[in-house]
This record gives sequence, structure tokens and C-alpha cells, in this order.
Amino acid sequence: MSSGQVIKRAKYKTTVKDPGTPGVIKLTGEKFVFRPNDPTSHNKLEVDFRLIKSHKNTKEGSNKPPWLNLTHSQGSYIFELESFSDLHVCRDLVGVALSKHGEAAKVISEEQLSPAEMTLRIKLLQEDSKLQKLHKELVASGKLTESEFWATKKKLLDRDESRKLKQRIGYKNSLIFDTKPTSDGRINQVKFQLTPEIKYQIFALKPAVHQAFLKFVPSKMSEVDFWNKYFKAEYLHSTKNAVAAAAEAAEDEDLAVFLKDDEILEVESRKKVRRVDPTLDMEADEGDDYTHLPDHGLFRDGSKEISGAQNTLYQRTLLQDLNRQGAVVLEGKTLDMEMEPPRTVAEALARRKQGESDGAVEEERRNRISKMTQIEDLQAQNDHHFAPLCIKDPREYFDSQQANAVKTLNDSQGGSVKIRCSLSSEEAYGCLRASISNIKAIGLRDPLFSHEVAVKVLNGLTKNISSTKYHLGKNSQDSVLDILPNATKEKLLDHWVSSQELLRHFWSSYPITTQNLASKTKRLKDAMSQVYSKLEEIKISAQSDLRHQVSLVVHPMQQALDAALLHYEADIKKRNAKGPKPNGYV
Amino acid sequence: MPEVRIIAKNFMDMVASMPAMKLDKLYENGFICEAILRSLPPLAKKYVLQQLHIDVPVAAKQLEEWVLPDGFSKHRVAIDRLVQLRVFVEAVDRKNEKTYKVTPTFQRSLQKLLVHGGTLPREPMASNITVRLPTLEDLEAWALEQWECFLLQLISSSQVEKPSNISSSLMKVFQRRLLSQRDRDAPKLTESGFQFLLMNTNAQLWYIIREYISNSEERGVDAADLISFMLEISFHVIGEAYNVNTLTNFQRNIIKDLADLGLVKLQQGRKESWFIPTKLATNLSVSLADSSSRKEGFVVVETNFRVYAYSTSKLHCEILRLFSRVEYQLPNLIVGAITKESLYNAFDNGITAEQIISFLQQNAHPRVAQRAPSVPENVTDQIRLWESDLNRVEMTESYYYDEFPSRDIFEGACDCAREWNGLLWEDSKKMHMVVKTEVHPYVRDYLRRQK
Amino acid sequence: MPSAPSKLYADDVSLLVVTLDTNPFFWSTFSVSFSDFLSQVLAFLNSILLLSQLNQLVVIATGCNSCGYVYDSASSKNHAPPTASMPALYSNLLHNLEQFVARDQKLSKPDHDTQGIVPASLLSGALSMALCYIQRAFRSGSMHPQPRILCLQGSADGPEQYVAIMNAIFSAQRSTVPIDSCYIGSNNSAFLQQASYITGGIYYKPPQLDGLFQYLSTVFATDLHSRAFLRLPKSLGVDFRASCFCHKQTIDMGYVCSVCLSIFCERHDKCSTCGSVFGQAKQDVTSANSKKRKA
Repeated sequence: MSSGQVIKRAKYKTTVKDPGTPGVIKLTGEKFVFRPNDPTSHNKLEVDFRLIKSHKNTKEGSNKPPWLNLTHSQGSYIFELESFSDLHVCRDLVGVALSKHGEAAKVISEEQLSPAEMTLRIKLLQEDSKLQKLHKELVASGKLTESEFWATKKKLLDRDESRKLKQRIGYKNSLIFDTKPTSDGRINQVKFQLTPEIKYQIFALKPAVHQAFLKFVPSKMSEVDFWNKYFKAEYLHSTKNAVAAAAEAAEDEDLAVFLKDDEILEVESRKKVRRVDPTLDMEADEGDDYTHLPDHGLFRDGSKEISGAQNTLYQRTLLQDLNRQGAVVLEGKTLDMEMEPPRTVAEALARRKQGESDGAVEEERRNRISKMTQIEDLQAQNDHHFAPLCIKDPREYFDSQQANAVKTLNDSQGGSVKIRCSLSSEEAYGCLRASISNIKAIGLRDPLFSHEVAVKVLNGLTKNISSTKYHLGKNSQDSVLDILPNATKEKLLDHWVSSQELLRHFWSSYPITTQNLASKTKRLKDAMSQVYSKLEEIKISAQSDLRHQVSLVVHPMQQALDAALLHYEADIKKRNAKGPKPNGYV
Repeated sequence: MPEVRIIAKNFMDMVASMPAMKLDKLYENGFICEAILRSLPPLAKKYVLQQLHIDVPVAAKQLEEWVLPDGFSKHRVAIDRLVQLRVFVEAVDRKNEKTYKVTPTFQRSLQKLLVHGGTLPREPMASNITVRLPTLEDLEAWALEQWECFLLQLISSSQVEKPSNISSSLMKVFQRRLLSQRDRDAPKLTESGFQFLLMNTNAQLWYIIREYISNSEERGVDAADLISFMLEISFHVIGEAYNVNTLTNFQRNIIKDLADLGLVKLQQGRKESWFIPTKLATNLSVSLADSSSRKEGFVVVETNFRVYAYSTSKLHCEILRLFSRVEYQLPNLIVGAITKESLYNAFDNGITAEQIISFLQQNAHPRVAQRAPSVPENVTDQIRLWESDLNRVEMTESYYYDEFPSRDIFEGACDCAREWNGLLWEDSKKMHMVVKTEVHPYVRDYLRRQK
Repeated sequence: MPSAPSKLYADDVSLLVVTLDTNPFFWSTFSVSFSDFLSQVLAFLNSILLLSQLNQLVVIATGCNSCGYVYDSASSKNHAPPTASMPALYSNLLHNLEQFVARDQKLSKPDHDTQGIVPASLLSGALSMALCYIQRAFRSGSMHPQPRILCLQGSADGPEQYVAIMNAIFSAQRSTVPIDSCYIGSNNSAFLQQASYITGGIYYKPPQLDGLFQYLSTVFATDLHSRAFLRLPKSLGVDFRASCFCHKQTIDMGYVCSVCLSIFCERHDKCSTCGSVFGQAKQDVTSANSKKRKA
């Protein structure tokens, strides 16, 4: 049904309200063209699908006319078609066309990395010379694209990102409560200079003010009124006149919000008390507030006033303020300072509070308690360490493995030959038991074995030791691979690393579901055959006495590459042979 | 615990210093070979084992093939020790290269030990003959009590309630270097006596044994026989009874002394008598190899310089009294405080700060022993500081000159003293000077010549 | 026996766990008789105990139907009556070994015919037992002798034990216990090569078996402390080949589950270990489709 081209009558609308220009729309796999009926109209369009980001259409049955909306980066093209069936035809074609381009577009967009990402990659490459070498060989020569290369190294990237914790600016550790008013001295009025930062800090310090702000502004009062009220309340506090404060609060219920003890804070402090480590929790219910004890009512500015119990609601101690300030400063600032409108500041803060209140804090608290409940002194030392699971360096692994290939051939006893045993299990066990009782009866032979054998064995072992010492370099950790000339060895190791990388990419791109993967495998196949032929070259160019060993070392690599190449050929053949393609396969 | 090593090594040196004839005789005994083998450094053990069945000399070069560059010093130490103890015989072969070969006697004894096992010269007695054998715990408690009783008697004979029957002459031998007696005064602990008290049991035991052996010649006993018997005893099974009749006369004399020290317990049946080796005896050969098994500590030191010792032992109390002020004594607890005065007292007696600290650390109560440091750092630091306080003044014997006739002579004398590197102080205004005693004759000669 | 509550061990005190191959089928076909082998091994075991009073020795017999502890120098249980001509170690070990062999034989299925093929010994079981024992030593307190495992193995690898053995190897590596292997069979043992390679132990295949004691005492008696100063034989090359999970065959090339890393020698639709369904490769589409149609 997709014939590759659709021509329909449609109206082109620049906006939703635009009545539209009648004309003909022609859609192909690559682009769409709109020709207005009126040739003088300026609304001629010819747009590549590459530029289209997405498409929308109105639903059949809804009371809207059949609209097709193609969004591009600046806005959208809206076409009103004549019927919904027309719309469906167009929509299908657009869908196919977009999906085709979408992939290409995606690849392009992937290449557009943030500079941070880019520097991270560069840093990683600089730190790891082996990785850099591999990157240079595979990416620079076009065997793999940049993004393909990094796709398999996500772990490296992630690790690096988690490592850098940005240092954030914290709060100033000065008491914000003491925002000093400026007075021009002439009229009976004071002015407060409020910066967004101060506002933000007030919100953080006083959740009740914060809530009030969200509730009142701008629905009930303007922002200026709000702050006026706030500072009036602050002023009342500073007069230390609890009675006056109570009176004011009775008059103005909005003001009362500021004058009363911060309920939210109270709830939190109660929560905090519950969080106190069980070992320390000695009914610390009164929390930070010691006002219930005589002589503990340390008020702001140091003066004391014992007032009626009914007014304690309006008292605030310096101690409380200090504690709160300390807590907020320690908590730190988690938002950037840029949000100017206080409304957004307030909302952002609210969101953050909600987010962290349960999950992380609870978790941390539990961790802390579990750590604290174990008092060090009373616990047995638990110093049973585990070594990290060791995954060997690939080069070392290669080393040992290749050396093995050499050895098994020298042994000339490759493969596992099952030893035949003609005895029945009865006889075999009998034999074994006879041996044991034999020793039991006559004891060990004395002497255990002849001195000649002992000398021979010791000499043999010593020869073994010194041969590994002299033939394989000073280091006893060296292996057979070191017999090879250094240049050859390096080349082999490099080829091995890159062929491993290529193979990993190759196998991970199966099954081929997109065009992109198909082209990738093709690229990889070419690269692999290159490596293959290079290995062949090394094999031929090796010195005659080493050729045998080189070929042994190279053999498993070529085997692995062979398997990949074979698979590729077979796959190509199958894909070409088949007619109808199942969904999802290209 | 370095002391055990040093003293045990001294013991091994004693073995090593014996003439070849006697050593060969010693090595006929498989147990001695085993004890010697265990006392060797790890590399040396390996060398002995790998050459156990080789009867031809092995070139030194061949051994060195195996050694990594890092291990050469250890290799040398191992070989030296083997040669010292005559386990390896060093020779030079035709190519003028050093070779090593295991001493045949040693080799044969060890081979036999491997194949047939060690056979003690005596079997444990059947349980129907021996009655009321002590349990292992009782035995250990008895041994420790015996040992402490001996130690107490050693340092202050007056305090002992039930004196052991170690002959006073032998006791004198042990006390020889630990106590000093001036005229009629009560004997006083010497410097090494104090140090001895602060050692752990194994080291003390080795010290006593060494004294015992080195004194043997005076008593007309062959040291080799004594050593071999001591080591033999250490391979007996703890808690088993062995018939005294299996011992030679000479050994029977020794076993009585050993019983007084707590190494063996003697018991008398209806007809037979037998001896039961204790842990102290078996520890003899263990501590040769390493300073392993040690008894549980009992001291807790607090950061406020208080010392709590969970002990019922009088000896422990005496030891604590050496360097701390014992404040009160409860049935199982001694409480004291480390004070400046108590420490000065200890320093006066020649005990060093390091010894006190290592005593506190080694005997730390298991509860605090797991911690690092087991003794609070402020206490150890303070102990060291108080010790270094005493070393602020250095005494030098010297001569003081004044009333020089002229400035020339004064300066000449100064130069003369300086030349001999003996001028300690000069005051050129008043023309005074002080020179070291050694330099005094030269200065005097100089002055005479000036006249 | 050392019983001091807090032990301060010298550097060279070791806890040696030996696994002893007692596969009757292997020994009946092998050129060296079991009694010759055993007598040299016994002498070696005794020499380990000789080196230090605190050395600890555990011997685990590796049969082809079961494994079992046959000697533990720390245990006070002495089953065998002491005989004059033989050290207690030998008589105890031999006594336990006899009992073990009898038990092992009972476990073998009576109708089970080996068809002349030597079955593999249960190396995986023995390694696990050794590691359990060592873990107990680790947990007994902060002071313990330095543990190591020595595998005296003769029979060929049992590919069906691949997963279990690899797990044992990795847990040994995690707890820094080296696995030494003295392999006396005719071909190299890939399992033991890997075990020693990964855990940092020594793999050696003595070429001359009548001098076995010499090899054991020269190479394998070396305590972990001294190994830092000595050059010891290094096996050249390790056979890293894995066994497939489906047919327990050693393979060079195969399929790996991308989720749990199980290895298969042939294509499967679903991982038999973790149950992940593998993506359908192109060539299998037709067959997969046909199956669906039938269903």
C-alpha cells in the first residue's frame, strides 16, 4: 500500500487558527511538496523529511478536522486533508519516511556531544595509553565510529562521572535573622534589603514562612506585603515582648503565622529526636529546647524574661535559632542560585524537600544507627578481608594462553585421550585397598628412594629454574612469548587487542535489525580481514626458526576471525536469498 | 618478644659452640635433630629438607639459582646458620667452588625420623598402673604455680611459704647474675635481675636452663648429655606418665630439679614412680622455633596511668611494684598507678622504659590486647619522656685550671687541650678552663714545659 | 597440640590442606603403584609437621564417588592404635584412608559399568572441603597459620565439574589461599593449571615419579613466606579452555549467555542457567516461525 508516493488535496495552515491555503500535497520517501492552488501564493513548500522531528494527527471520531501536523525545529506544518482516509495514507507514509531518516538523524545527533563528555573521553584516552592506541587504530581509520567505540566502554565513562562530585556553594554561616534594616532617619520607617539569596535562606531556615509564602503569594497578598508582614513579626520578636506579640497575633491571623513557633520545625525536631541513636537516646524529647528548665531560657540578646505560660508559644530562643542555622548550613545548598522569582525559589525548595525527606535521609539514618549500635570496644575484631576478585589483564591472559598453544604442540600429545581401564570397580577398589594395607603392614621403604634419583631430580629442577631465568629474561614471570623479537611481540599483542575489540563489536551487532548495523558489520568485516592479512604477514615475515611458534601463536586469533568472517558471509547470503522480511529486520 | 629469640638463640649458640665430636653425638638423637630443625630460619628449613636425600655435595651456585635478588640476605643467613650448627658441612670441590652437604649423622637421624617416626626411649605407662593422674588444666596450673614459687624464691627467699627443695647451691647459681648481696644487707636485685622479671615465662625458662647447663660442667655433668635430655623431655607427651625407672641415674638427678622448676611433675605409686611432663617442658622446643605460645595477659593500663592487673599471683604484684605504686590489692585484682616516682625508682634499678612498656604490652589483658596500641599512647610516651628526663645531664670527669700566669700560657694550654680534643670549657676573660681527665696529663706536661 | 588462646605465629607457620587422589580406576591403570606414591607422600606430610610444631596438616581424600577428611593434625581423635614401627600420622591416615575407600566403594552404583573409561575424581568436592576448613581457621580468630592447598592429582579432569571447580578457584582467590598442584597424570590438567594460575600457586608436573618426595620437598614444602625470596618452577602456559554447560565438553569456541555468562557449545533459544531468551539471529527466523505455526 505504500507505493512510495502519495498525492492528496490539502489545505496548508501556518498556524492552527490560519484558515489555510488550499493546494496539493505530494509526499515521497524523501520529502514532501506542497503546491498551492493559487500559483501566486507564497505558501509553496518543499521540505526534506530529514528536517522533520515528529508528526501528529487528529483522531478519527474526534470533532476536529483531519489534520496532519509535521513538527520541525522552529514550528510545525499543519495540513488539513479532505478526509480521514487520506490522512491515514499520508500518516503511514510519513511514518515510514521519518523512521528511515530518524536513524540517520540519531547517529548524527549522537555525535553532537556535550563538551564535558568530550573532555572526559579525551581524559580517559590520555590516562590509558593502551586505550588510546586502540582508539587511534579503530576510530581514526574509520573501522568503528566514535560512538560505537565508546558504547562498549560505558563503564569507564560512568565511573568517571560518578567520581567527580561538584563542589557546591553553601550557605553563609551568618545569622540571616539579623538582616539589618536601613533607616533614612527622617520618617518612622525602616527598609529591608532583600536579595534572592536571603529569601532563599529564609525559606530554608523557616519552613513555616516558606509554606505561608506558597499559600499566600500571590493569591492572598502581594510579595511586598508578605515580606512586610514577615519583618513586622521579626521586629516583634526582637522586642522580646511576648505579650505584645501575642496581642498582635490575635489581631492579625496572617501575622500570627510568623509569630508562632514554626510547626514544621517542631515536627522535624521531634522526628530528629526519634532518629537519635538508640545508645544515646535518653528521653531527649525536649529536643533542642531547654526552656522548660529554669535558667535555660536563653533568649536572644542574652536577656531573660520569665513570662506567662500562655505566651511561650511566641518565644523563640537564640539557641533554637543557632541550631536551626547550623543545621541548614550543614545541609548545604542543593539548588543553584539562579532562580530569580521567589515563587520559583519557593517551589523548587519544596520539591527538593519532598524528594529527600524519605528516601535518602532514612537510608542514611539507618546506616548510621547500625554503625553506632555496635560499640567498637565491645565487638570482636573482624578483620577477615577478601581479596578483590581478580580478572587478569587481557594481555597477560593472552600471554599464558599462547604459551600454552606452543607447549601442547611440543608435547605432541594434544587432545585428551581417555585412558582405558579394563578392571571392574570391584577389582580396582581391591587393588587400592591392597596398596594401603601393604604400606600399613611393611611401613615406608627405607631409604625412601635412591640418592641418585634425588640428585637427578634436584638437578633437573634447578635446570628448569635457571633456564626460565636465562632464556626468558631476568624476570621469572616472563613466558614463551618473550622468545619472540620485541617488535613482533608488540605487534602481535596489538593485533590481538584490536581483533578482540573488533570481534566484540562484530558479534554484538547481531542480529542485524537496522541498516545501520548492516553497514557497521560490513565495516567491521573489512577491518577484520585487514587484521587477518596482517597476521598472515607477520607469520611469513618471521624468522625461519621462529616461524613455527609464531604461527602457533597466531593460529587461535585467526581461528576466531575466521569464524566471524564465515558467519558474516553466511548471514549475507541468507539475507539476500530471503524475500519477505519479518518485522524489524532490514 | 625479642628476648626469647635472643636467649633461645644463645642456647643454640651454645649448641653450635660445642665441638664437632659432641655435636655428632647429639645429632644421633632424632629429637635433637627435630628441635634443631625447628629452630632454623624458614629458608634453612627448606634447604635441609631438599637435601635430605642427597648424599653428594651440592654446589653453592646451584642453591643460589633458586634465590630471587630480594632473598639473598636471607639466603646467606640461612646458610650461615646451617654451617654454624654443623647441619651443613661446607667444602670446596675440585673446581674450587663451595659446596654444601648435610652432616651424615644429622641426615640419617632425620631420615629415620621421617620414615619410622620418633621413638622415645620410653613408653607412657599403662593407665592401670598409674592412678590419679592430674587433668591437663590441673597440670598446667600446678606447673605455673611451681614456676612462680621458684621465681619468688629466686628473688626474695624470705617471702616463700613452702620453699622448693632446689639445693641452695643451685639456687645460688641461678641468683648469681640476678641478685647482688652486699655484706649483711638483704640481697638486692641487679639490673639484669629486674630485666629477668619482666621477661615472659619462656624467656625466663630459657635463661634458667642456660644457666643450668653452663653450670653443669662445674657439677661434673656433660653438657651434651644435659642438652639432649632436656630436648628429649620436651618431646614427651603432656600429661602422660613415664616411668622413672627408664631414666639413667644421671637423668634421675636432673628430673628432680626439673620437677622443682615445674617442668615435670613427679608422682609416686605403690611400687613405681613416674614423671609427667608439663606444658613448660614441651614449650622448650616450641619456643626455640618461634616465640609463639604465650600465656594470657592480665594487665589493663588506662590513659590516666592506672594499672589494673587481674592476677592472684604474688609474683605479679612484686613485678608491678617494680615500676608502679601498688594502691590496693583485692583477691583477684591488683590496682596500681604509674607515677613519676615509681618510674624513677625503676630507672634507678636499671630497668629501661622499653622493658616496662614491652612488659605492659606483652601482658596486656585479652580485652585490650586486641586493640592497637594495647597500652595507651600517652602512657607509653610519658614513660619514655620520664626516662629521657634522667639523661639530660652527662657526667664527664675533668680537671679545672685557673690562675694562669699569662694570657699566652692560657691560650697555649687551651690550644693544647683542643688538639687532644679534650677542651670542655674555657673562659678567656678570667682565664679558666676545664679539660677532660684523659687530656689532663698532656696539658700538665705542656704547662710544665712552659715554666 | 597448640592450644594457646592467642597465638603469635611466626612467618613460616602454615596450614597445609592436601587433597589426595584416590581414584581406584586411575591407580589401577597408572604406571606407578599407589603404595609407592603414598609412601612418598606420607614422608612429605610428616616432614611438613616436622618443620614446625605449629604447622597444621589436613588431608582430604578425593575419590570418584565421595570426598572425605582422612587426617587432621589439629584433631585429637586418634582412631588407630599407635604402633611401634610407624609414626602416629601414618597409622591414623592409613586407617582413615582404608575406611574412606571402603565407604567410597559402597557408594559406587553396583550396576554402574565404567565401560573401561576412568571416571574423574571429585576434585571440586575436595577443593570445597579444603576451603571450608580454611574458612573455619580464618574465623577462629585473628591469629591462624597461613593456609594453602596442595592438590595431588593424577586422574584426568572431569569437564562436568567445570563450574564447581571454577567457583572453588575463585573463592580461593578471594580469600587469598594459593592452590598448589602437583599433577602426576599423563596430560596436563587444565583445571589445576587454572587453579594455580588464578590463585598464585605453583603448578608442576613432575617428570620423574620415583623421586616424588624430592619434588614435593623441594617445591611444594616451601612456605608462603619463603616464596617471596625464591624462584620456583613456573608452568609455561595455562589451558584456559572452558567446559560447556550443556554437554560438559571442553570447547575452544562456543556461545556465551550475555546475561549470566554461561557457556554453551551449541545454539540455544533460551539460557538453561538463567532463563534469558536469546535474540533470534537472522538465519533462525524461518525455523522459529515454522515452530510457531505448528504450535
